[in-house]
Amino acid sequence: MFGYILKKIRYFSLKNKNEYMLQNTKPGKNNSEPISPYLEKNLEVIKGILRDCSDLTIHEFNFGRDRRFKGALIFINSMVDKEGIHKNILQPLMYDALLLQDNVDMDFTKIDTIRKNFISITDNLKVTLLSDLLDNLLAGASILLINGSKEALAIKSGKRESRSIEEPGTEAVVRGPREGFVENVKVNIALIRRKIKDTDLCVEKFVIGEKSKTDVYIVYIKNVANPKLVEEIRRRLKRIKTDAILESGYIEQFIEDSPYSIFPTISNSEKPDKVAAKILEGRAAILVDGTPFVLVVPMVFVESFQSVEDYYARPYLASIMRVIRFLSYIISTLGPAIYVALTVFHQELIPTQLLISIAEGRERVPFPAILEAFLMIFTFDILREAGVRLPKAVGQTVGIVGALVLGQASVEAGLISPIMVIVVSTTAIASFAVPAQTDSGTILRYIYLALAGIAGGFGIIMGLLATLLHLASLRSFGIPYLWPIVPLDFTGLKDVFIRMPLWTMSKRPKAIVWENYDSYNQSPGLMPSPYKKDKSDSK
Amino acid sequence: MEKKMNFSIMKFFLCFFLLLTLSGCISAREINDLEIVIGMGVDKDENPGKILLTAQLVKEDTAGGASGDGSGGGDSKAYWNVSSSGKSIFDAVRQITHKTGNRLFISHNQAVIFGNDIAAEGLQEYIDYFLRAHEMRPTALILVAEEKASDILNIKPEAEEFPAFNIAKLVNSYVFTSHFYKVNMKDFASCLMGATTAQLAPLVSIIQDEDGKDIYVSGMAVFKNGKMVGKLHHDEVRGLLWVLGKVKSGVIIVSSPDEQGKAVLEIVKAKSKVTPEIEDGNIVMHIKIKEESSLSEQTTTENLADNKAFEKIQEASAEVIRQEIMAAFDISKEFNADIFGFSEMLHKKYSKEWKTIKDNWDVIYPTIELDIDIETKIIKTDLLKKPVMPSEEEN
Repeated sequence: MFGYILKKIRYFSLKNKNEYMLQNTKPGKNNSEPISPYLEKNLEVIKGILRDCSDLTIHEFNFGRDRRFKGALIFINSMVDKEGIHKNILQPLMYDALLLQDNVDMDFTKIDTIRKNFISITDNLKVTLLSDLLDNLLAGASILLINGSKEALAIKSGKRESRSIEEPGTEAVVRGPREGFVENVKVNIALIRRKIKDTDLCVEKFVIGEKSKTDVYIVYIKNVANPKLVEEIRRRLKRIKTDAILESGYIEQFIEDSPYSIFPTISNSEKPDKVAAKILEGRAAILVDGTPFVLVVPMVFVESFQSVEDYYARPYLASIMRVIRFLSYIISTLGPAIYVALTVFHQELIPTQLLISIAEGRERVPFPAILEAFLMIFTFDILREAGVRLPKAVGQTVGIVGALVLGQASVEAGLISPIMVIVVSTTAIASFAVPAQTDSGTILRYIYLALAGIAGGFGIIMGLLATLLHLASLRSFGIPYLWPIVPLDFTGLKDVFIRMPLWTMSKRPKAIVWENYDSYNQSPGLMPSPYKKDKSDSK
Repeated sequence: MEKKMNFSIMKFFLCFFLLLTLSGCISAREINDLEIVIGMGVDKDENPGKILLTAQLVKEDTAGGASGDGSGGGDSKAYWNVSSSGKSIFDAVRQITHKTGNRLFISHNQAVIFGNDIAAEGLQEYIDYFLRAHEMRPTALILVAEEKASDILNIKPEAEEFPAFNIAKLVNSYVFTSHFYKVNMKDFASCLMGATTAQLAPLVSIIQDEDGKDIYVSGMAVFKNGKMVGKLHHDEVRGLLWVLGKVKSGVIIVSSPDEQGKAVLEIVKAKSKVTPEIEDGNIVMHIKIKEESSLSEQTTTENLADNKAFEKIQEASAEVIRQEIMAAFDISKEFNADIFGFSEMLHKKYSKEWKTIKDNWDVIYPTIELDIDIETKIIKTDLLKKPVMPSEEEN
């Protein structure tokens, strides 16, 4: 029966693929014809294609010494900086050209002549194909067409609304830079470049999305990042054929290694310092226009438990916090499951006094412990979701109502035992300690709870084993997901459960840089020490 | 490729769910359906050939209330004792469900108390269930009641909520006096398996005073082959513990060198070494005891904190220890019960001779001689160096 279903699924997916191919090869869709030398004809074509665009401006003008040349400036008036166009394109062409000496004879039908002599906007581009022309036009460029020229000039005079750089909402720090990425990808690249001023820093551009034509950049450091990794990212990006990339999550879901896994294999961040640090380790960042969330590949599991602050603070507290984060992940996934397993299956493992007080608390509870736990976790998830979606002003009300519903009222009504409230609230708090794994933690919590309800401790162990097997099988762009624990790498372990002092971590992560695996990021022996008079120093 | 992967996922889930069904011991029980047993008592029933089992259960609806309010719920008790008679312990355990409605949950049992009559008849036949049942813990304490075990479980302690916890606490307090010691099921069973060694179990009794009844550990019951043959009093138990090297702490009282008052010592550390020796067919046990104590109290004006006084006190305390050991040995000879475990020591050292000794052990035991060598030392005088009295210069 499975075979039949699989066959059907494959049949439909193949059918869909064919239909998609057919749809995209329909005639008229492709504007890859060259620009004609006749201005009138070009304008006709463009007007024809963009006939329903009321915000399209076509400004025809004559210029040159005796105004015998004809030109047209085309732009979408909602996207350009009009003042800049007047000042930097139209004024030089229409007025400054008049002031030319008689003996200077310029061929104004050559786009290069205009580009080199009159256009003072640096960000310009020669286009020869109509499709390129339209792409640039729709991206906010002003198109300069000259009668008699087979080329057009796309001048990027666009203005771009951009949010100012603020502290990101998702990754707040006590110590560390407060800046965060914004929606404008140019700004984001600048933010990274400010951190890494290196000639080897590469910024490769891709345009993805048939309709959105979103700019996607791969940023990495040549000679540090594994070339195969970069090649693999390019390959995966190129195969994306979709209408739109609206957020980096789209890219993530199209290029991730294990789409069926509940664990993310691509990390994301809003913080330039974090992304820069990862690029410096040999990873590659994927920046997507229109979102402050930058993807970083490859990702390993322990990365979820690392915070930028670990490296800014001195190593002792940072190491304790690491351990606390690991523990909270365990608590957040296993808390209710262990409680249910203990109280339903293994009561002999609970200390006698505790057992008595749990039994006393559950005396009036009408539900089995497993249902009680499900109800509580479910209620908590509802509250969390509601709290996120609601406007901030109303959000507090949800918290108060939630505290009353979850805590006091349900216990007083005898629906929930007080210990269950403690277990679930501890679980809830712990789940926020590891933001990168909140998704997987939430799902695992339900799975483990169900297993604990079915088979107690045995079920939990089965679930843990399955999770471990799955984790060990995952890869992120060729890197084992559990590295450096599986496969064991002692140099990598310096930065897992404890964070060794910075001066001990002089090599880049082996699994990530791979080919130049003994590459140093700092000179060894940087341990600070006060000046000691050496024997060789003394006279 | 895709097919292969999907198929392996299917296989994985199939195996996984099969494994879940394979788990044989699925025994989910909600915690409020449990009848948590914290203490058990075994007595003889009025009907001959039957026993009366008393189980102390936690009353879940009032247990927390009493502890939470602090003042307690007046006369409402946090526990209830259920009794049932049966032809065997397990029979009685199952018959109790007629009264409780739920199966007993015995994993948290703190103590098993055997009544005087059962102990005299022999524990051998009754102890089996407590070791065999999977819910029983071998660390549950074993005790003997001087009267009926059910009466002991019925006395509500003043400070504790549950009588069974109170009894366990009392038995664990042996570390302060060494006047008895705790014996759990496992210890008792392993003693029972030795052919010649005697078994011991703390003896609890009820004392009546003005305020009501209290429970009191009065000594230890001595068993021979599982049958209770007599009782060791507090000092005799300590005599036994000196030899076994199990004295943790305790008080030794000797008269002060000037005979005006008493010097009270607290035992800090005690070690013992016993070496058996057979000389011309006579068995001599060389017992070497090293004891350290602190001067904790004195009831005389003499300054005891000097070497001369120390020596005298040390000698006197060694004499006290010797007397305690001899008292224990004498009473063990009276019962002809090898409470010290001399037989095991002989077995280890003289394994050839043991074969002949073993058969006449009961005859040989009273003829054993003890050679006791006691070394005592006072190592400190606690906070005072001199007794509290006017200094002599001022007089």
